[in-house]
Amino acid sequence: MIRDLSAVLGSAHRAVLFRYLAALCGYAVAQGLAVSLLVPVLGDLLGGDTGGAARWTGWLAVAVLITLGAHYVQAMLGFRVALVILTTLHHRLGDHVAALPLGWFDGTTVGRLTRMGTKSVLSIAGSCAHLLQPLVTGVLTPATVVVVMVFLDWRLGLAAVVCSPLILLAARVSVRLLNRMDEIDDAAGVEASGRVLEFARNQPVLRAFGRTTDGYPPLEAALKEQRAAARKQVWMAVPGMLLGGFAVQMCFSALIGVGASLALDGAVDPVELVALLALVARFAGPLAEVGEFAAVVRMARNDMGRVRAVLDEPPLPEPERSTPVTEPGAVEVDRVRFGYPGRRGEGPGDVVLDDVSFTVAPRTVTALVGASGSGKTTLTRLIARFFDVDAGTVRVGGVDVRDQTTAGLMEQLSLVFQDVYLFDDTLVGNIRVGRPDASEADVLEAARLAGVDEIVERLRDGWETRVGEAGTSLSGGERQRVSIARALLKDAPIVLLDEATAALDPENEAYVQRSMEALRERSTLLVIAHRLSTVTAADQIVVLDEGRVTEVGTHQELMVLDGRYARFWNERHRALGWRIAVDTS
Amino acid sequence: MEQDEDPRQAARQPDQDPKAQARAAKTQARAARAALASMLAPVRRRTRVAMALQIIGAAATIVPYVAIAELAKVLLAPGPADPGEVRGAVLIAVLGLSVRALFGGVALAVTHFADVALQASLRRRIVARLGRAPLGWFTANSSATVRKAAQNDVHDLHYLVAHSAVETTAAVTVPVAGLGYLFWLDWRLALLAPATLPLYAGAYAYMMKDFGPQMGRLNAGIAAINKAIVEFVTGIGVVKTFGRAGRAHAGYREAATRFGDHYRCWVRPMLKLEAFASMTVSAPVVLLVNLAGGIWFVRAGWVSPVDVLTASMVAMVIPSVLVTLGFGPQARREASAAAERIAAVLETPVLPESCRPKVPDSHEVELHDVSFSYDGTVDVLDGVSLRLVPGTVTALVGPSGSGKSTLASLVTRFHDVTGGRITIGGVDVREIATEQLYRHIGFVLQDVQLLRTSVRDNIRLARPGASEEEVREAARAAQIDRRIEALPRGYDSVVGEEAVLSGGEAQRVSIARALLADAPVLVLDEATAFTDPESEAAIQDAIARLVRGRTVLVIAHRLPTIVEADQIAVLREGRIVERGRHPELLAADGLYARMWATHERAVV
Repeated sequence: MIRDLSAVLGSAHRAVLFRYLAALCGYAVAQGLAVSLLVPVLGDLLGGDTGGAARWTGWLAVAVLITLGAHYVQAMLGFRVALVILTTLHHRLGDHVAALPLGWFDGTTVGRLTRMGTKSVLSIAGSCAHLLQPLVTGVLTPATVVVVMVFLDWRLGLAAVVCSPLILLAARVSVRLLNRMDEIDDAAGVEASGRVLEFARNQPVLRAFGRTTDGYPPLEAALKEQRAAARKQVWMAVPGMLLGGFAVQMCFSALIGVGASLALDGAVDPVELVALLALVARFAGPLAEVGEFAAVVRMARNDMGRVRAVLDEPPLPEPERSTPVTEPGAVEVDRVRFGYPGRRGEGPGDVVLDDVSFTVAPRTVTALVGASGSGKTTLTRLIARFFDVDAGTVRVGGVDVRDQTTAGLMEQLSLVFQDVYLFDDTLVGNIRVGRPDASEADVLEAARLAGVDEIVERLRDGWETRVGEAGTSLSGGERQRVSIARALLKDAPIVLLDEATAALDPENEAYVQRSMEALRERSTLLVIAHRLSTVTAADQIVVLDEGRVTEVGTHQELMVLDGRYARFWNERHRALGWRIAVDTS
Repeated sequence: MEQDEDPRQAARQPDQDPKAQARAAKTQARAARAALASMLAPVRRRTRVAMALQIIGAAATIVPYVAIAELAKVLLAPGPADPGEVRGAVLIAVLGLSVRALFGGVALAVTHFADVALQASLRRRIVARLGRAPLGWFTANSSATVRKAAQNDVHDLHYLVAHSAVETTAAVTVPVAGLGYLFWLDWRLALLAPATLPLYAGAYAYMMKDFGPQMGRLNAGIAAINKAIVEFVTGIGVVKTFGRAGRAHAGYREAATRFGDHYRCWVRPMLKLEAFASMTVSAPVVLLVNLAGGIWFVRAGWVSPVDVLTASMVAMVIPSVLVTLGFGPQARREASAAAERIAAVLETPVLPESCRPKVPDSHEVELHDVSFSYDGTVDVLDGVSLRLVPGTVTALVGPSGSGKSTLASLVTRFHDVTGGRITIGGVDVREIATEQLYRHIGFVLQDVQLLRTSVRDNIRLARPGASEEEVREAARAAQIDRRIEALPRGYDSVVGEEAVLSGGEAQRVSIARALLADAPVLVLDEATAFTDPESEAAIQDAIARLVRGRTVLVIAHRLPTIVEADQIAVLREGRIVERGRHPELLAADGLYARMWATHERAVV
């Protein structure tokens, strides 16, 4: 834990952490020494020397003052460490995430990172006060007392020393039991969770097919399994929780026994024995509770693990300065191979693209065609460098994307993909994102072409309507139009466009059509094509099949070839002429 | 801190007047406590048993101290000590320790098993309730909420059920027993032992005075960070492509720095006070007070030195109790919030089932002046009347947001109408038993729902008793037979594990399912979202098979698809504005004709 903390903090702030730890240890020892003064005070008191007892009490008062001072110092230092952790982690997470490849982000990232940025970071920052302090004092203060005992009476001290490994062992076993039990619960919980989610998501079909009245068997089974696992867990948890305390009490019993028999033999001064036992009695309690911190330690470690997992993610390597573009508007995919990295480092995933090559000349339209899963989307992502290729090269503007800075690459590209993000800003502000310094007229023109003006008419606040997370929600098609308007405004030399969802309904289709005509006049267009008109009008069609390019050419050329494309075109044409009617046969 | 909600939601949380916030928080806390109490009712008896056990165990904590005192008396008595008495004292100490361990352990075991039972029963209740909720409820509440309630929230009750009662009991019993014993010894000692507690209580009260507003400010700070992260991460694609990465990043950094600064301002004073407060009850201070006082009492002749020994030992145990009590409220708050969320799920309105269900005698579906509103204020549908003649196709067209999908969802009774009625064969759908209803109405929607079970079971979901040949026949008709056979374990392949199907393929499995279910009325969303042309043609063939001879209501996205429909209903803003066949509507030169013209222009 401390190693993790120090690694996360970096050398600049490590000193604070170590100063804090030193202060904490000092405090724990001081407390142990102060409490040990119980022995001489009680010794004199029981021996009938109240004057001596009062003098020792004076020393005790001094020791107490020192302890209090140490406590204050460590508490404040602990807070400083917490603050440093808080800001350092926040900043490091931010810097790192900003440098990660876009491909790293998916649907779960936001949830994961907000949780991390609030809950995990705060709990790591708080772990000094809530975890380190009780843990260190819980161990070090009794240890100090044991050392003092060795000096006061070596036999009792020795007995206490002998007991220590026993207590440590018990604590370890108990931690192991508790960890094991967590794993059991986890597997069953994941399965049950999945089934509950499935049950909720599929209510319509489950209900329509009568599967809710008499229960949904897989869910029932999963819940039953979870319950069984939980019971098993309890059988481990309860002994695990009690073991530490039990060991401490055994030792305490042993000490009393040893002490009593020594006293009966006259080998030890009864006054001293009683005083020592009183001292030990005080510390049997807290020590027994150290084991209970296992859960807190585990939680802190999990939080830490989550943060480190993000920080250990390799950022996208980027040159200091972009190599100047040699061929503006050109895209070249050269013998590219790529597979999505396996989840959680399971090694390279299945190859999605293999030996893919084609070039797109400036100011031409290229249509990507292929069945779903053939690699079209992946290809556009590689061009925008969401990921790096496994082999081969992607060149944008004539230069390898890896020799360009993110900013340099993005200057050349406009992306119109399926997931459109709207900022918590006005509608017009969201379009202006495309080119912040664009003139009012340019913004309006882009909006008009993409059909955003038609949306504006329906909104109460018009252009100034707030959209995005906290504002009026726009439909998928409307969001897509905003995204096209952005691309139009940005006026980048190359546009990557996923037509699929854009062409959903007739009104959208008309706007997409119009925007594409505007775009092709000034940019290179690479389109994941769905509409036949887009395909036939393209200067070049690239047919992908299971990650390989099978055909490249114009519509006429490929039709003559009578291969995959021709088959696709015929199917598509048939689909277009399709009609629903009851008497269809 | 309840940061578990959807981060976007938390980000949206506006800064409110802290007082109003505090008031609202109080009412909410009360409701949460009530929810919690009723939720824990089933385990109350077991909890009480555990508490009784724990009282015995905790009281035994004092026994070793008493035994040590007895030992002291025996050993310090003039003359040689009696070995029997010494052994007796040691035995009592060991006995006390054993009783404490045993009873405490059994108490914990009892509550842990109670917790397991409670969790299992709550999960079952949640699931049972969901099985009867109106289907529309699931669209309004994300399935993640459901999972959270059934898994995480239920799990959050763990501390409360399994630990809280037992630990709090111990925390109260130990000082009560200890002080009781001291009173029995000497009342002055009993007063001296907890002498520093009032100082602690005072400091704590002073600290808590500002706690509410402070917490509010802290939460607002967290919400701000949350919001910054959401903007930063969700928008990162756009931000990077439009070269604004630096700016968004700066926004986040600023939020983080500001939070750090504020955190220091808020927490530091509290922490200082807390440091002082905790000192007053720390072991060395308590020891000092008790020994100093004890020496005075001995000099005054009020108590014996051995009594001071006992009192010191007991006094030092008392503060450790405070730690446990301090943890309690936080855990209780978290558990209460969880309980409230679970209660909300358990109180989901149940779709009313008719107690005297009727059986429709024909398949004619009719909408009589139907209105519907999701939120009770804005009508999504308004006075819609429509008749689906058996054996005909009715198409719903209209701009996005016109109410097409809502209308379809009323016919499948995912929601109940808020005005008017929907009948099948003259019987109101609300008077038809759920099972019976879906024997009449089948549906194939855009959002394909496949279960994580074998492909075969997915297809025969409607008719678990269907024969192998029937399943294959349906799959063949849905154009998915060959694909299934190519799977690693054919029809036994589990969907999502061995059978990874594309959207179009999943759609065809769902069509096979509908074919096998063979309901006479079919609600169909003409799905176009599949980018895979080959799949699309196959889907169309499958749908053509499916609609044959049925009463069909189709939500149309592409106009050419439905030009041959028997009836086209054009929706705009929740009303049917036109109705007729394709040529009639073109001739009417209204909305439909305009939509058709737009379409013609788009398709070259």
